[in-house]
Amino acid sequence: MKEIKVEVIGVDPPCMRCQAARKAVEKAAERLKANGITVHIEKANIMSKEVVKRYGALVSPAIAINGTVKIMGRVPSEDEIERLLREAAK
Amino acid sequence: MMRSIRTALLLLFIFLVISLLVYSRIRAYSLAPTMKPEDFSRYAWYEIPIYYLWDYFSHAWICLLFAFTAAGLVYEFSPKEAVTKYMRSSKVLGYAIGACFAPLFTVCSCTMVPLFAGILYTGAGIGPAITFLLMAPAANILTILITGEFISWEIAGVRILASLITAILTGIIISKTPWGKAVEREHQIVQNLSGEGQAIEIVKPPLDERLISALKFGGYLAKQILPYFLMGLVAVSYVNAYLPQEIVESYLTGFMGILLASVIGGPLYTPTLVEVVLGRALLNLGMSKGALLSWLMGQPYDIPNMVAISRVVNWRVVLTYALIAWSCSVSFGLIYGLASGSL
Repeated sequence: MKEIKVEVIGVDPPCMRCQAARKAVEKAAERLKANGITVHIEKANIMSKEVVKRYGALVSPAIAINGTVKIMGRVPSEDEIERLLREAAK
Repeated sequence: MMRSIRTALLLLFIFLVISLLVYSRIRAYSLAPTMKPEDFSRYAWYEIPIYYLWDYFSHAWICLLFAFTAAGLVYEFSPKEAVTKYMRSSKVLGYAIGACFAPLFTVCSCTMVPLFAGILYTGAGIGPAITFLLMAPAANILTILITGEFISWEIAGVRILASLITAILTGIIISKTPWGKAVEREHQIVQNLSGEGQAIEIVKPPLDERLISALKFGGYLAKQILPYFLMGLVAVSYVNAYLPQEIVESYLTGFMGILLASVIGGPLYTPTLVEVVLGRALLNLGMSKGALLSWLMGQPYDIPNMVAISRVVNWRVVLTYALIAWSCSVSFGLIYGLASGSL
């Protein structure tokens, strides 16, 4: 049983592109469930000092997997997220 | 195999869009609408927007298609992580990056405000952050392309230059004020500035996925902007049809004209790009070129922008930058009006 932590970093209230990014992550996570990989999805506010402290200035939406920002400023496809998550689960 | 075919098709599409624009250039086909104010008097009130929109889109679609495609591509392929990384390394570099790279981040204020906050928090200082903030709406690629094609490339060039000076000047002045410094102290977070421990490893997807995502973003921008743009155009068609030339000629020329243009250009929230079309309509009706520049430079201090920023910094800073940007807009309008002989 593998566990991965994903943070979807966006603005609050969420803008359209941040929501799209979150949806893509959720769908990819759903697919991986069948393979015994659990994905914890968290929402983080890009304007909170805590996030800036950890990752610096970011372009929204950004996605961090296990504490590393992998994607920023764009909405990834489900396939891409799935690929990244599988890599992280290895 | 599939991948390379898809990449080729996407590149072909982009190539087509570019060659369309180049071809229209060579044939000297006007990409801006051609209806003159007097043409409108022939039509009934309900026909005016229809004819205007038709005239508009039959000419402008190439330019709009190109502008949105280009905006998507530039956004996707701009080095975003470099911007956020180098922004904080030194003041001079901060200003330079703020001014040069802001235009790559297109219009969307839901990207701009967090980035402004991020730049401020990471310790680049309030100066570069303000420069970034003012430069982005004033000189982003979409605005400049549309200004250049619909009005003139002279105006587009002057707009970039004037906005650049305004943005840097405003940033420097605010960073010297006591309340600017206070905001800087309040927001700067103590952290290791070397960037260690900040885990950022941006993955680059294959070219075809990047191209798709670029075109998608262009489409997203179009979806966000075009509805307002259409409504704006309907309003512009009525301005064209019913606003008497004498009124524009007497109120939107001279020094008073510049003042008036600078005041209504920005704070009256004209949705992005409509200011360009409306500006062109007013120019045709007799507004001076100086007033037109002030009109176009009003964008950075529009009300919604100011409200959004006031969530991050206090009102004193917001009002200071609005005031400086406004005086710059008036001064540059005057200078350009005098220099071009159209005041």
